Amino acid sequence: MITHLKNGTIYDPAHQKNGVQENIYLFQGRIVPKPLDPSKITQTFDLTGKVVMAGAIDMHSHIGGGKINIARMMLPEFQETRGYSEPEAHICTPNCSHNATPSTTDTGFRYIEMGYTAAFEPAILPINARHAHLEMGDTPMIDKGGYAMLGNDDYFLRLLAQKADQKAINDYVAWTLHATQAIGIKVVNPGGISAFKFNQRRLDLDENNVHYQVSPREILQTLSRAVNELGIAKPLHVHCNNLGAAGNFQTTLDTMGASDGLPMHLTHIQFHSYGTEGDKKFSSAAAQIAEALNKNQHITADVGQILFGQTVTASGDTMMQHLNAKHANPKKSVIMDIECDAGCGVVPFKYRDQNYVNALQWAIGLELFLSVEDPWRIFLTTDHPNGAPFTSYPHLIRLLMDKTFRNEAFAKLNLDAQAMSNLTSLNREYSLYEIAIMTRAGAAKLIGLNDCGHLGIGAQADITVYTDQPDRETMFAKPDYVFKNGELVVKNGKVVKVVWGATHTAKPAFDTSVEKGLSEYFDKFHTIQLDNFKITDDEISDDGRGKIISNTTKST
Amino acid sequence: MDSAYLNASTLNATCPACGLLCDDVQLEIHQQKIQVRHPNCSKTKLFFEQAQIVTTPKISGKPASLQVAIYQAVQLLKAAKAPLFAGLSTDILGFRTLYNLAQKTNASMQHINAQSAQRNLRVLQSAGWQTTTLTEVKNRADLLVCFGTDIVTHNPRFFERFIWVKDALFCDADGREIIYIGENINTSAGISPAGKKPTVLACKTEDLPEVTAVLRALIQGKTLKCTQVAGMSIRALYDIAIKLKQAKYGVLAWVAKDLNFPHAELTIQNITESAVLLNQTTRAASLALGGSDGDTSINYAHTWLSGVTLNDTPIAHDCMVWVYSFSPDQLPRATQSPLIVFGQDDTAFERVPDVFIPIATPGLDCNGTLFRVDGSVTLPLKKCRDATHPTLSDILSQIEMQL
Repeated sequence: MITHLKNGTIYDPAHQKNGVQENIYLFQGRIVPKPLDPSKITQTFDLTGKVVMAGAIDMHSHIGGGKINIARMMLPEFQETRGYSEPEAHICTPNCSHNATPSTTDTGFRYIEMGYTAAFEPAILPINARHAHLEMGDTPMIDKGGYAMLGNDDYFLRLLAQKADQKAINDYVAWTLHATQAIGIKVVNPGGISAFKFNQRRLDLDENNVHYQVSPREILQTLSRAVNELGIAKPLHVHCNNLGAAGNFQTTLDTMGASDGLPMHLTHIQFHSYGTEGDKKFSSAAAQIAEALNKNQHITADVGQILFGQTVTASGDTMMQHLNAKHANPKKSVIMDIECDAGCGVVPFKYRDQNYVNALQWAIGLELFLSVEDPWRIFLTTDHPNGAPFTSYPHLIRLLMDKTFRNEAFAKLNLDAQAMSNLTSLNREYSLYEIAIMTRAGAAKLIGLNDCGHLGIGAQADITVYTDQPDRETMFAKPDYVFKNGELVVKNGKVVKVVWGATHTAKPAFDTSVEKGLSEYFDKFHTIQLDNFKITDDEISDDGRGKIISNTTKST
Repeated sequence: MDSAYLNASTLNATCPACGLLCDDVQLEIHQQKIQVRHPNCSKTKLFFEQAQIVTTPKISGKPASLQVAIYQAVQLLKAAKAPLFAGLSTDILGFRTLYNLAQKTNASMQHINAQSAQRNLRVLQSAGWQTTTLTEVKNRADLLVCFGTDIVTHNPRFFERFIWVKDALFCDADGREIIYIGENINTSAGISPAGKKPTVLACKTEDLPEVTAVLRALIQGKTLKCTQVAGMSIRALYDIAIKLKQAKYGVLAWVAKDLNFPHAELTIQNITESAVLLNQTTRAASLALGGSDGDTSINYAHTWLSGVTLNDTPIAHDCMVWVYSFSPDQLPRATQSPLIVFGQDDTAFERVPDVFIPIATPGLDCNGTLFRVDGSVTLPLKKCRDATHPTLSDILSQIEMQL
């Protein structure tokens, strides 16, 4: 009944264990103390010399919901790439998969095969939440969860325009978390998705949305305060204004300033770290962004690294995706206004290493990884599939851990881009301990997953075992074993048992009288009933495959 | 109060009869008999007030027990090398189990609306589009152009629920401008409550490719040498182009089923690319309407489960499984192969199925989940009466276990 993982080399940053040899015991899906009666151990894995970490957690990956499904529908040609074994671009290796739009089954399988045991969909439109949970419910192997998007929805913007008190905002935010079964709140191009519907084409941090006469700064401050006052562990997840635009680093710095000292997470910050220097008026501002991140201890960020090859960008940011549509490759795109709630933009993209901008984007992402000092506050993402498919993580890990490999790759890039990057002067190589922080302990701490991301007694028994080898890409692409809730589910990088993970949520308390105003609003302006907007627990767990985990919120 | 009233119960329900999924339906249920109190919609009435059919599973037309019918279906599926699961008129929950069974039996799949759905999908896969959803239309649209459709034949409450509304957030609902382009269209729904009549440009359906191409060119600012197209003055189309450019949020709508001619996707692309052009200076969006038999839902779920959309190419098969949960009038496609039918009623069949198993209808006899035609909204369907038949998932799970 008890599984014994014997003599593994443990990397468990939550308990400051950096490569110590220890035993781990698993019982009924949890990590338990050494049993007093050794005869209860029914299964032993000798892990001598093996690297043992908690299951990895992807804190930002577009795995479920409308955008990705539109991408799948629009791009049937992507399915051909499923069988590719040859690298598509010379900088990539055979482990880089270019299937940017995997089916839900493939998503679960590819994640668990890399030792990831949880992934979080970062952009759930509240009105589309049922769809997102349906897809995540069909995603096997891993735990799931999502962040609900607010800040472009008419109801919130009207509250803000009417100068509603903070309590009313807080109740609405908490109600949304419950109704959408989400664990965090995200804001995408604050006010900008809405502004685009009123034909505004750009929105700066202190520029007003023409209709509501409120600014992105006010939206950020109000939402951030709500998240903090409600005790939601996950800081407000912010996709800044001006994504992808040259010179946008100033908006990013100003957004950090707008946080007023409250915790705030800036997502896919690579896409927001661009300067305007040089002949091409496009340069790296990674140094400025990293310096600000190092200084502002309350700010966290994930990178959104790009890697070369074909992918598709799927974003709630209709305003900026509409501008980007002219770069679509293949030449097609979907831009959609959705339900006075938000929107979505799906634009296929091919990042090329001989293209100046793409090559520099690649370098900027790595500059950020290497210049941000605290691995607890920077997270490993490609903003799947926007920068690259998540299946390229092992390649990305090697770029971080192996300076020679990195510099050899850099030397093959567009020469003008090389001249504009200081990447080769950054000598840092990530350690296994630091990788375990950014992909496990840090991610769990950030999202507020109490029982995941660590190997302490009582933890959910999600565990990955690797063979320590110098080629970190090979190592991280194919774990020896992955245990999900204590069961062996992957052996030598292949799934040996299909299981279904849980859905993580956060459910802070709120004043239910918030539904009075909402009910009137739905009756007048919406096109569905308020009750049908709310997703019940049963809808997720009814068929016995799903389970809801309600993570405790911070004490307020 | 009379006793009939005392015995009646009321229920709020969601109607799966068309792609709008109206969820403001009020039912009165008295001794298992359902009456629609609201709305006054012919499709909703037809769906909820349909009689409960009491029938049994059948093998070659002869009543059989459920276990024997399931056993017979299993034998036919085991013998088949390439089954085709067709019709696919069901909801997400039913489709999930159907998809699993298809995986296990190496079956292909095709929805009953495959042809009309493909007209839209080809546009999405060739150029993409800029679209909108119904709550945006309700609160924002100041101009609606209907291409080759009156909409209401498919979506009876479209104008009532999304156009002639009492309150709209960002525009004057009563002042909206409605334009129809096409033939034999019932334009009465386009008359505003104040009596303002819609603009109607008559043209034959087969001329829509040309007319939409001209409109697209005019929006693009091209000068045309001709003065007429399909019997219509260029001037009239030019006026529409100007109105679309001046509108704050023009909506260009069509129903793929009404564009039933070869290469209709090119006409739809003229419409969607017109919206893309308009968005260079103002805001506009295209809107595909219609929807029935869970077509949007099945296509979405198939896409996330498999990675690709369903298609409409003819599929060779050696056994057909026909699934119809919503429309009893949709008969199985002609096939020479063994035929297994999961549906409501078998009385209208031209050919006696080898196996017939009656199933519950989602939204009436059991719960369910469907996507609305605009794709972003998913709604739960409710059980409204005691079911006499098992659900599709129940039956398929039993079949899967015996395979």
